[in-house]
Amino acid sequence: MANVRPNIVKDASARQKYAKGVNLLKREFTGPTTASLGIPGPSRPVSTYDLFVVWHHTAMSTMTPPTQGDRNAAHRGPVFCPWHRFMLRQLELNLQRVLNDNTFGLPYWDWAVDGQKTAAQQKKSSVWAADAMGGSGSPVKTGPFKFNSADPTSFRVRIEADVNGQLVQRNHGLRRAFGTNVPNLPTKVDTGGVLTLTPYDATPWDVSSSGFRNRVEGWAAPTPPALHNRVHVWVGGDMLPSSSPNDPVFYMNHCNVDRIWEAWLTKHGRSYLPLQSAPAFLKGHRINDQMSSLLSAPMKPADVLDMRSIYVYDSLIV
Amino acid sequence: MPSNGMTISPTAKSIASYVKKNALHVKKAQKAHKHQRTESVREADYKGHHIVITTQYQIEVDGKIVMGHLGVTNDGQVHYHPVPNLSFASAVDLVKQLINIFPDDFVAKGNRKTHHRKMKRTLSGHKHT
Repeated sequence: MANVRPNIVKDASARQKYAKGVNLLKREFTGPTTASLGIPGPSRPVSTYDLFVVWHHTAMSTMTPPTQGDRNAAHRGPVFCPWHRFMLRQLELNLQRVLNDNTFGLPYWDWAVDGQKTAAQQKKSSVWAADAMGGSGSPVKTGPFKFNSADPTSFRVRIEADVNGQLVQRNHGLRRAFGTNVPNLPTKVDTGGVLTLTPYDATPWDVSSSGFRNRVEGWAAPTPPALHNRVHVWVGGDMLPSSSPNDPVFYMNHCNVDRIWEAWLTKHGRSYLPLQSAPAFLKGHRINDQMSSLLSAPMKPADVLDMRSIYVYDSLIV
Repeated sequence: MPSNGMTISPTAKSIASYVKKNALHVKKAQKAHKHQRTESVREADYKGHHIVITTQYQIEVDGKIVMGHLGVTNDGQVHYHPVPNLSFASAVDLVKQLINIFPDDFVAKGNRKTHHRKMKRTLSGHKHT
């Protein structure tokens, strides 16, 4: 039977399990070290949670094809939706493992509900309560990921991208700056609008493309940064660099993006573009190309178009 | 149907094994992004002509070179790989944001006077074939 992915503000149990699982993965070390991954400085173990940070950064740093500097192995092109679905599922499987709960479903944050509120109300949404994701700040001082300088086991950013795009070792509390870079979250008009768009993606398969993917990623209307991108930018702090999975809110955002994609697939059929017959310069984005992986076997976009036997959402009303 | 890879529960052993297998790619991706100077190539076709515009950027802040990859899309928006969710109307706007986003990489200068070294932008190629 498929697991159910719930709305985080409506499910206290999912909130608690998610926070507990993230903190368990943050303290789990399976062998990889900073030295084995080429991250400068003294060799230190890298936690399972931080391996996801490394994975996201690496995919983003892999240009597809390498001869251009725009489209990469996870963003700014068609593979954006399937690659993040693959990543989310790997995190979900690891959370189930450390929670010893195979029924756990990753919760999503329906940010467009908050986007309907005033700018001031958005910063006080229940998703930012101490029993949910905690609040804004540098460092964050409330919630399950708050910083405590006296407690070395409190949630800390250990690996992040620096200004040169290199992974470096750090030791600081989580940083957020709600509404500093853009005042408002996306709205229901934005999410409703994206569902009407077809096809999934189109030539030139980049940030200027028409279609669903480019709109939901956030490079198109209404005003970039929009939708997914806008959520990263609104949260700010550690959600801005390529190491943005450092903030557990990253997965709440992407789970909602995945839910929007699932709503689109339900409405328009389980189609994906480009097909495998597309030119070689789209390698990494075609339906049967291998997607970037780090902690598991690689997947193809075709493998993730229908997940209904594994998980469903409690609602596809976006 | 989803692939088995979306249902197989990972183990500590499987994670260590896959990460070891993929470590070289992580290292390569890191190395690929160190540039003293970045080059952006834009191409377009217009009335039977093929346009190639190559733009080189070298960014310095307080005399120190910023080495991430900068790109320019055909609509003139500037983007920077380490900041994947934003694009900017100008490279100057981008660099100002980099100072905000990466506080650990820029020591606060307080009332420091304007540095004399400037961002260099060179339009190095523009040809029709």
